Amino acid sequence: MFEHYQKEDFFDEMFASDKGDAFDFYQPLKDRFGRLSPEEIAEKQRRVDHGFLEQGVTFTVYGEDSGTERIFPFDMIPRIIPDREWQTIEQGLTQRIIALNLFLHDIYHDERIIKDGVIPEDVVKSALHYRPEMVGVDVAKDIYIHICGSDLIRDGEGKYLVLEDNGRCPSGVSYLLENREMMKRAFPGVYRQSGVRPVDSYPELLLKTLQHLSPRSGMTPVCVLLTPGVYNSAYFEHTFLARKMGIEIVEGRDLIVIDGFVYMRTTLGLVQVDVIYRRLDDDFLDPRVFREDSTLGVPGLMEAYLRGNVSLANAVGTGVADDKVTYAYVPDMIRYYLDQDPILENVPTYLAWRDEDKSYILDNLENLVVKAANESGGYGMLMGPASTEEERSEFADRIRENPRNYIAQPVVSLSRHPTLCEDFAIEGRHVDLRPFVLYGEDIEIIPGGLTRVALKKGSLIVNSSQGGGSKDTWVLFQ
Amino acid sequence: MMSDSMRLRIHHRTEYSYSSPVRDSVNEVRLRPAESRWQACEASFVTVLPACRISHYQDLNFNTVHHFEIARPHQKLVIDSRSTVMTREKVDFEKLPYGFLHKDLAKCQRLGECHPFLQDSTYVERTPEVWRLALDIQHDTDSEDVFETSYAIMEHIFRNYTYRAGATTVSTHANEVIANKTGVCQDFAHAMVAICRSIGIPARYVSGYFFDATRDHSLRGSEASHAWVEVYIDGSGWIGLDPTNNKVVDATYIVLATGRDYREVAPVIGSYFGAALSSLNVTVRVERLPDGPAASK
Repeated sequence: MFEHYQKEDFFDEMFASDKGDAFDFYQPLKDRFGRLSPEEIAEKQRRVDHGFLEQGVTFTVYGEDSGTERIFPFDMIPRIIPDREWQTIEQGLTQRIIALNLFLHDIYHDERIIKDGVIPEDVVKSALHYRPEMVGVDVAKDIYIHICGSDLIRDGEGKYLVLEDNGRCPSGVSYLLENREMMKRAFPGVYRQSGVRPVDSYPELLLKTLQHLSPRSGMTPVCVLLTPGVYNSAYFEHTFLARKMGIEIVEGRDLIVIDGFVYMRTTLGLVQVDVIYRRLDDDFLDPRVFREDSTLGVPGLMEAYLRGNVSLANAVGTGVADDKVTYAYVPDMIRYYLDQDPILENVPTYLAWRDEDKSYILDNLENLVVKAANESGGYGMLMGPASTEEERSEFADRIRENPRNYIAQPVVSLSRHPTLCEDFAIEGRHVDLRPFVLYGEDIEIIPGGLTRVALKKGSLIVNSSQGGGSKDTWVLFQ
Repeated sequence: MMSDSMRLRIHHRTEYSYSSPVRDSVNEVRLRPAESRWQACEASFVTVLPACRISHYQDLNFNTVHHFEIARPHQKLVIDSRSTVMTREKVDFEKLPYGFLHKDLAKCQRLGECHPFLQDSTYVERTPEVWRLALDIQHDTDSEDVFETSYAIMEHIFRNYTYRAGATTVSTHANEVIANKTGVCQDFAHAMVAICRSIGIPARYVSGYFFDATRDHSLRGSEASHAWVEVYIDGSGWIGLDPTNNKVVDATYIVLATGRDYREVAPVIGSYFGAALSSLNVTVRVERLPDGPAASK
């Protein structure tokens, strides 16, 4: 199967060179796939796709007319991360989530990092998701980001870099768990022989993380998952996680605030809620405080939250950390709060907000990736090398108009991974990695993460909304 | 059965609450696990709330010290230390380090590595009483061997002393401990250091943690930071002995810092202006992780 595989000029996850010599930790997998005929692969793929459809593992694409509900394309060749690499990732992400949480605590309290001149005040306060309502508020256990899904990529040398941190409502963990189930069924033998670290403890760890926040002690906390509803792109994931954790999934209208406490309407009457795993952005949480037109939220929720009668995961106001300008300062935060060098580096980032960076960006648009500071999911982005003159001048205008809202990064040629393409030929496709970090009593990272793959030849965009697929990710015991 | 290496994860949290806001808090903490041939610190994160700048340096005993200051009024101070450590067995339990004799101890006096650990220090004094006690223990075991005597001293403390929290304070002197035969791990370690030094055995105080691998968690001191002793054995180096649990230190122990006594290794030392402390809450959790690549050898 791999005879005609072209590594080309990219860092390849599986092959060290074009001569077909796989890294030793990939060898058993390569042998296994090497013994498969195209017919067998087709058969397995059919079964896997059927499995996903039966499980209802789908997502929604916004802004498209034709059938919005889709299966997330799954590629059967798993990505393998050897233990020593994983340890670095694990430590790097732990360091990062600690620094981000200290940063959030700081900017909503003493602002030491601002006063010490490490991060400019206007960068923090002009962030779209900075919440003045949170100033001086002590959140449960002083943790802001309980669930984080940072995106990692590897450059041409194979070095892991952090592309962004998702500290609001990162999604994708359900695909990770379902991908593993499918792989276990499709390739039980090689899965067992490889010594793959399991991931199925995630829902249990997530529930523990949520319960840790409960304002009431001495009883099993009542946790619920608050979803925007069936039209949300990640609705499948919401139902999946609620089911796996054994907690109720609720919409805004299922909750009511009475005297500063949150209750869930049930067939047996009102039940007081302690912790809300909200998969709803800050803006929609409470129409009395944030967007008045929100019909998804719960009137009075913020009051209950600020009084400490209910906990939210993630906390309100974490979006500052997702701002791509704030991102550029994370290495400085790590040095400031921990007196350590970052274990995982950032992608070099130019901030249009700085005048000298702005002129560099405007002069080099065709070589850079330009991103809006507060968009996610691959929206609001300019891929310089693939852009037209017209798109570039449009972005140039936008940058001049609102420099605070734009950053630019050099194009990182993401690592590639052998992937099943048309007619079951195996070709290299670009991948990234989204591990999921849980910050409760302990900081836990389930081994691996969601490997997203850009299925379109040459494409660097892995987002599911832009034609990406995913792979199972194996962290080996040793 | 204990394997000869372990990957351990530690979370040590120290939480101070004050009855009214305090200010100008200056603190030094020794919470980063030490690096040695027997212990690799894979990751260590020391953090403080209220969030502030932290800096670190190495002290004269090569311990890592983190320093921070909080000038603004605050009513709560939380210090978190999270680390992942790979430990290895330092002692071959089939072949304990016998063979270094009392008559050869004199040469330790001239070793820079040992000299500070043969003198008196803040909480440890070589009094005639302590010296007579040491000679009695040595005589009872009829020992010519330094390790054998050290082991007997450890056993003497373990068998004759009462482990009781609250009977002593952080600044109780070894003399008092030896007189009352009561205390916690810190006191037992001070007593053992004093007895060893009185007959010329170089002994130092160690702070750290251990992973209680016993089925019923019967060992003492695993719920907080622990303390034990290291004695210098020529040819083997510093060997750990835990008088609180009557054990030769193995791969379940994690060294944070070493020094002449508690004063030089205190995990958290600080000062502030303001109200008296209203509560101090310390929790330590040590758990074992699946072995990493270093264990595969």
